[in-house]
Amino acid sequence: MNAVIEVKDLVKEYMIAKKGRGLRGSIRSLLMPKKTKVCAVDGISFSIAAGEIVGYIGPNGAGKSTTIKMLTGILHPTSGSVRVCGISPQEDRKAVVGKLGVVFGQRTQLYWDLRLGESFELLRRIYQIDKAAYEASLAVLSDVLKLDEFIDTPVRQLSLGQRMRGDLAAAMLHEPSVLFLDEPTIGLDADAKHAIRGFIKEMNRERGLTVILTTHDLDDVEQLCSRLVVVNHGRVVEDGPIDAIIAKLTPHRLLVAELERPCEDLDLDHPAATIVRQEGLKVWYQFEKSRITAAELIADLSGKLPIRDLSVKEPDIEDAIREVYKTT
Amino acid sequence: MLQAYLYIAKMKLLTNLTYRFEWLTSIFTNLILMLASVFIWQAAYRGGGGAGEALSVDDMVTYSILSSTLGALFVCNVQDTIYVKMREGQIATDLYRPLPLLGGYLADDIGGMLSSILNNAIPLFLFAALFFGFPGPADPLSLALFIPSCLLSYGILWLLSALVGMVAFWVMELGNMGMVKDVILRVLSGAFVPIWFFPGPVQTVSAFLPFQYTYQTPLGIYIGRVGTYEALGDMAVQAVWIALLALLLAAVWRRAKTKTLIQGG
Amino acid sequence: MIATLRHYLSVASCFARLAVQRQLEYPLFLVSWLLMIPTSYFTGIWMLRVIVERFQPLGGWDFPELTFLYGLGLISHGILVVFFINTWSIDRKVINGEFDRLLLRPMNVFFQLVASYVNFIGLIDCIPGIVIFAYGCYLTGFEWTAAAIAKLILVLLGGVLIRAALFIALGSIAFWTKRNGAVVGFAVITLERTTMYPLSLYPYALQSLLTFLIPIGFISFYPAAEFLGLDDGGLELPLSFALWTPAVGIVSFFLAHGLFRLGMRKYESAGS
Repeated sequence: MNAVIEVKDLVKEYMIAKKGRGLRGSIRSLLMPKKTKVCAVDGISFSIAAGEIVGYIGPNGAGKSTTIKMLTGILHPTSGSVRVCGISPQEDRKAVVGKLGVVFGQRTQLYWDLRLGESFELLRRIYQIDKAAYEASLAVLSDVLKLDEFIDTPVRQLSLGQRMRGDLAAAMLHEPSVLFLDEPTIGLDADAKHAIRGFIKEMNRERGLTVILTTHDLDDVEQLCSRLVVVNHGRVVEDGPIDAIIAKLTPHRLLVAELERPCEDLDLDHPAATIVRQEGLKVWYQFEKSRITAAELIADLSGKLPIRDLSVKEPDIEDAIREVYKTT
Repeated sequence: MLQAYLYIAKMKLLTNLTYRFEWLTSIFTNLILMLASVFIWQAAYRGGGGAGEALSVDDMVTYSILSSTLGALFVCNVQDTIYVKMREGQIATDLYRPLPLLGGYLADDIGGMLSSILNNAIPLFLFAALFFGFPGPADPLSLALFIPSCLLSYGILWLLSALVGMVAFWVMELGNMGMVKDVILRVLSGAFVPIWFFPGPVQTVSAFLPFQYTYQTPLGIYIGRVGTYEALGDMAVQAVWIALLALLLAAVWRRAKTKTLIQGG
Repeated sequence: MIATLRHYLSVASCFARLAVQRQLEYPLFLVSWLLMIPTSYFTGIWMLRVIVERFQPLGGWDFPELTFLYGLGLISHGILVVFFINTWSIDRKVINGEFDRLLLRPMNVFFQLVASYVNFIGLIDCIPGIVIFAYGCYLTGFEWTAAAIAKLILVLLGGVLIRAALFIALGSIAFWTKRNGAVVGFAVITLERTTMYPLSLYPYALQSLLTFLIPIGFISFYPAAEFLGLDDGGLELPLSFALWTPAVGIVSFFLAHGLFRLGMRKYESAGS
């Protein structure tokens, strides 16, 4: 099996100091601070194969960034093991990080006051990329990310979208085999998001790049990821293809019917369908698709009520995720 | 209105208490400054040095201890506050708040000063008393005059700080000019070497500048270098400086405000 | 080995070039420093002169000797400020998680911390240092022999290492406390009062502390005392300071580096 990343029983515990409230609390924590143990990651296991694009998602505080930090060697786990390309980042950090590219959407690694190209030159030296390989790599990146437009502009003058393109290029200059993206599209406009998603897909297709993406933007997930790992409270709660997760978590669909005129008795006799909402002449029926088909339901309805318009809503990733957060 | 100012001052006190570690280090920093100047004066007087001086070594030790204590006490962050807010472009938003901006900054600094009475001045003073004996005033009257004179000193220091902070409204690119003022103040306030030890021409010039009325005036009163009438006269000069600086600040502030509101910061 | 050295040198030179370029982006910003730093130090030595002329030499040091010491201490401070300024902001880097990025690069973290900013603005501190030291040399009749120059270089190197060690050790405290901004200010002020004023002003307990526990005395006081043939206050040491200062510098630097590594381990186990 060609797993690029293997995580087994990963646990990370923290000690957190608690602050008291008000003047009395301040004085108390001044004299004797209280500490409590918090388990940010509580036994996570998964493995990621080369060439996968995996969405690593979960609500705030679920343990996403703690996991990412352990995968990239920034943090050492309390227990459990991490292997990236067969190497433990805790044992040989320098060997592992040479194969990684990491982009934090909220924090740039580019020099604020200098033209973008200067940051690239520094990275060229840090990663010991020889001139020819660097030129080739930069040419490919420029082509996809259109860096030529702003490579000589000081980073502080770049738009957020341009800066993010610069950050992506900076993370890819040394041709890493795994790319970690932490909220890569945060705060970007639709065009910039599109460009960045296009880039990730292209790199995945052309170079077989493995991508791990944490995000709150479920459009990112839908458009990019073949697989989702969902965490909550430090544990993996779902792991699998997106469609399977949606089907499993949201067995319901919605049928929205718009009536010709107000009616008294809207109830259907079928036990698998119920009214969930009603607004004027619009009625929302929720039904389980395993027990009744949309066609049957529509037939029933049109026999009984004066219907003007009908539409069926498929649950999307957002409903599925909300379901996960609710139930775990 | 007063409630709001009190709240600002209280919050300052609270945040200052939170930083246990910084609290300890700031005491030690002030302690080092105090020890260094006390030891220098002791070395200057050792073995019969300064025999012709009107002031004894004990007077100068008391002077140095009180000077360091005042240094820890007189919190004037206003110049840095304005500079930072200007740099971050925040001042325009602050101007739209219902509370007068400078009043808010003053309340903030006074809160800082109140908390440093507890946090800094008292521990420092106790340390000093332990090492060098209690640095008492020359007589009860000196103490009675010293306290109002200190308040006047703080007035001058705060106004100077606010005025220098105003520079940021026009020439922010030059960096924080407050640092430059602080260096000049350190010399010409007499905080370390009293101006009366300096050569005559320096003393003459200094008498017409506000700086020596910040530290040297109250400290000279405390150790009894000046008589009651002279002390009252010095305090009158302090009051005149406060009036002058306050007028100047009001004028500059009015211009700064118009400039910012028109240009939007 | 040689390849590694070349790698690090190439990165260090690029870091230095970028640091200079970044500082040149805001040239006017220098004005306040150009006004403040020289004023601060020239008035500092002037005040000592006022005291000495009015009273007597301080702890056996007359004005020319005080000037020599003041200048020597200030030069090593200036060099430190140029090359090790990043050790002053370890706390901010811990709080903001800036070590994350350094850990993500295949290089030594300590190297990246120190090399990533060459603060050429620190030369502003060196200028009054050199002027005051030169004046001190003139007043004391210091002889510029080859041996004296060699000694001076060793002393400056050692002194800078001792200072750097102190700031690295203090900065590393931030790995545990998360805050040490105030400690840096404390150390800067303490160093100013103990390397630019004669240590013999202070009580023996303090002198011993600043000699054996925190070797600040080796930065400029003992070297200056020996250069000028003065009594160094009673703590007699065998051998020449020209050997002691660099040796103490290297040892303290290694100890401080060890503490930094412990701190990094803590960072890696707790994050920011």
